[in-house]
Amino acid sequence: MEFGHFLSALTPLNLALALFGVVAGTVVGSIPGLTATMALAVLVPITFSMEPASALILLGAIYTGAIYGGAYAAILLNTPGTPSAIATTFDGYPMAKRGDGDLAVALACFASVVGGLVGALALLFLAPPLSKVALAFGPIEYFWLSIFGLSLIASLSTGNLMKGLAGGAFGMLLSCVGVAEISADIRLTFGSQMLIGGFGVVSALIGLYCIPVLIDLVAVPDRHLKVEDDVRSVRIGEAFRLAMRSKVNLIRSSVIGTLVGILPGAGGSVAGLVAYSEAKRTAKPHQKFGEGEPDGIMAVESANNATVGGGFIPTLVLGIPGTPPDAIVLGALLVQGVRTGPTMFQQSGSIVFTFIYGLLIATVLMLPAGLLIGRYAYKSIVTIPKAVLVPSVAFMTIIGTFAIRNSVSDVLIMLGLGVFGWIIGRFGFAASPIVLGLILGPIAEQGFVQGWTIGAATGNLTGMFFGRPISQAILAFTLVTLILPPLMARRRARKEERHT
Amino acid sequence: MSRPQTSEGQIGSLAVSALMVLAGVVTLWDTQGYADRDSQVFPQTVAILLIITALGSLVWRLLHPSDNGGFGAGIWWRRLLLVAALFACALTMPSIGFLASGAIAFAGGLIAAMHDRWDARTALIFGLSGAVVMGAFYALFKFVLMVPLP
Amino acid sequence: MLRRSILKLGAALAVTAGLSGAASAEINGPVNYIIPFGPGGESDISARFQQPYFKDKFGEDLVISYQPGGGGAVGWASLNGLTGDGQTIMGVNLPHIIIKPAQKDVGFTTEDLNLAYMFHFTPDAIVVRADSPYQTLQDLIDDAKANPAQVTMSGSGKASANHLAQIKFDKMAGIQTTYVPFKGTGAAVTALLGNQVKAEWGYTTVGAKQGDQVRLLAVAMDERHPLFPDVPTFKELGFDMVGGAYRGIALPNTASEETTKLWSDMIADINADPAFRQQMLDGGFAMLDVGVAEMDDFMKARAEEYLKDAREAGLIK
Repeated sequence: MEFGHFLSALTPLNLALALFGVVAGTVVGSIPGLTATMALAVLVPITFSMEPASALILLGAIYTGAIYGGAYAAILLNTPGTPSAIATTFDGYPMAKRGDGDLAVALACFASVVGGLVGALALLFLAPPLSKVALAFGPIEYFWLSIFGLSLIASLSTGNLMKGLAGGAFGMLLSCVGVAEISADIRLTFGSQMLIGGFGVVSALIGLYCIPVLIDLVAVPDRHLKVEDDVRSVRIGEAFRLAMRSKVNLIRSSVIGTLVGILPGAGGSVAGLVAYSEAKRTAKPHQKFGEGEPDGIMAVESANNATVGGGFIPTLVLGIPGTPPDAIVLGALLVQGVRTGPTMFQQSGSIVFTFIYGLLIATVLMLPAGLLIGRYAYKSIVTIPKAVLVPSVAFMTIIGTFAIRNSVSDVLIMLGLGVFGWIIGRFGFAASPIVLGLILGPIAEQGFVQGWTIGAATGNLTGMFFGRPISQAILAFTLVTLILPPLMARRRARKEERHT
Repeated sequence: MSRPQTSEGQIGSLAVSALMVLAGVVTLWDTQGYADRDSQVFPQTVAILLIITALGSLVWRLLHPSDNGGFGAGIWWRRLLLVAALFACALTMPSIGFLASGAIAFAGGLIAAMHDRWDARTALIFGLSGAVVMGAFYALFKFVLMVPLP
Repeated sequence: MLRRSILKLGAALAVTAGLSGAASAEINGPVNYIIPFGPGGESDISARFQQPYFKDKFGEDLVISYQPGGGGAVGWASLNGLTGDGQTIMGVNLPHIIIKPAQKDVGFTTEDLNLAYMFHFTPDAIVVRADSPYQTLQDLIDDAKANPAQVTMSGSGKASANHLAQIKFDKMAGIQTTYVPFKGTGAAVTALLGNQVKAEWGYTTVGAKQGDQVRLLAVAMDERHPLFPDVPTFKELGFDMVGGAYRGIALPNTASEETTKLWSDMIADINADPAFRQQMLDGGFAMLDVGVAEMDDFMKARAEEYLKDAREAGLIK
């Protein structure tokens, strides 16, 4: 039976749709401001006239391609094309700057395929049991998860801890601006209509990451990225060997990505951050995360692509979409007359399984397609003269920001935040802690308020915050991540002292 | 650089830290007006955290002056031109339409980023490639993704 | 297969309807249908359901885009700045468009919005897990009376339909429950299924979507919902509660009366389609037909009711 579904996913039409979806998704994802959500929303009506399974394959392929495509802009322009690729910038851009952009793009492709496969296989074989993860996570677990994510600030800002923490707090304040999500107040707008919608994550990402790069680029005549004299083809072999050496990292990050993907309140950006944090915690002494460490890119890219399969688990099993793109796929399914929920795997089994196999095939197709597009993207970014590259990217930031919700205010906010980010970045306040605060702030706030409300109602606040096993585990991981690296560093320093 | 106490990096770092403290104070003040306790807790906690950490970095920097940080080398008019062109684009977009305002941004960015000598040929090539890039993106967003661009 | 043939039938009917319909105003080319929320909510789902019927009946594409922010306020504040040629419409939701402007200046007022049609509502309902000890509404009331404030109920947002319903019902039943706000119905349902809260203030749509994982205790309708013939209404149980979240569309206020009327007729046409009605009912929605002609009276009654509830709850001054 299962094999039959595999064969029906292999029809020429489905293969073509998967390939087209991956390519289109990669392009969409690589443009900052263009999100998978938007591409899917536009394409849904086209799928009404298709077989449900084919429609789903197309949508799933676009989604997974977009998550991978986000890495290009992150690596080559220091601007995450999608929020999922935030942590890709940490090591990707340093690699590109020193002339290893081609290697980084190839690594991202390998890692994305591995992550995508792990996520899709989990969806295929373990969906019903894993969907329980989504339910086991209550408000408090989300709260602690966000604190764990925020603890990454500490290790990101070595030597500048106070500024890093201040940046994180500032980012969290930015996340409060506008109409509060779960309470009935309008906060920190100071009467301005422009700020009522708050700081959108995507426009803030474009502003904080991309605008400073552009401002720095125009000021000096140097080339944007260092290029070796002999422009080699994308270093596929080298990337493959590196990826093989990091099997543990890839698998661990993919599992993290799958699990975080299942959580409806988290998403690809959190998955990437958690996987990065874990890769960094378990790093070998010679690895320098944050300065162009290949393992950093692989951790993030495998984790964020694993969230695609992971996110479909609660979507299909519980009818609860994990991410906005999942929500659109869910809507498309409902219109097609497919009822999601626990019985879906039995009642609409053929559609579901054909879709999952299609997702697997699309992920495999991402390997050649991704390497090819990656090579082209890299070559064009390094060969385009700076005088054309800068205005083109600048134009892209504006059209992309506008398109998020057709708002000129968002463009102004993006530019203002960009200039502000450039200035404070020049004095030691990096963009990443602010972005972490902006993304994790709402998760922390909602988890805290809900957890407090429930805890106070049941008269057991301590038990609520510290008594639940998953919370305790996350808390323990947070402490280990915070305390272990400084201890290890001190021990290493002492050892070296003894040697000299 | 002269003495670290008065260097650009020192003054700027102190100023940014002070600005962060101010942001925290303003937030605390703003939260006084909220009707719902649930919307106060988080910003208040975070604002206090911000004030403490920003004050911390301010005091530490005062005690350990250095000339770390600063705007660095680079040509100011190019930076300003780029930023001005981008803002001009955003502000004029509703009145003159997307393509025209985009052209302002593109031209501004092009002039700002052009460090080589201009001649007729490069001007033509760059101008044309700009038109192609803008046209392609405009078409992609407007007709494929159906974004209602002004 | 069956679905396809129904669609074809609809297309055939649309040709005749189309001829008699538009008089002076008409639509040309794809229509931009803006949802002022993110994807996945009831507003999005209903727009998706309307999409194919619109195409069949009127031959044009309905392009759905999302403009989330400020609980809808960003979208509604921008609506009147858009072109009023009938090619752009936006989803509107009650009680949002009444409560929000009453709380603070959010860039639009209820009267500013040019409402064309209200097409359905999702009736309030109390939802519990299938394995919950609450078999009836009375079980929940008894527990809440014995343990004041200990019955936790999730819901979507504050000063929302769910929140107003909770406050209203607490008062009617003389109980005290604890309302836990979540970001959207989806998150509130997840919390319910995950046993984080004891019950949820949701809608009939939750019951349709989650199937036998959940049980509805009562619905705020005049008569029982056809999808849940065994679930009593609040009225039957002695609580005068009818209402929920209402949805419709609005046009920029620069749109001519004819254009607004055209949209009112077109949505009415879709709403009258038996296949569409069946789909919506299966989804747990309750149909509603309020066109431009009856809009003022409808809005006046709703505004009075919502504002009274919100004032009593202390949500607005």
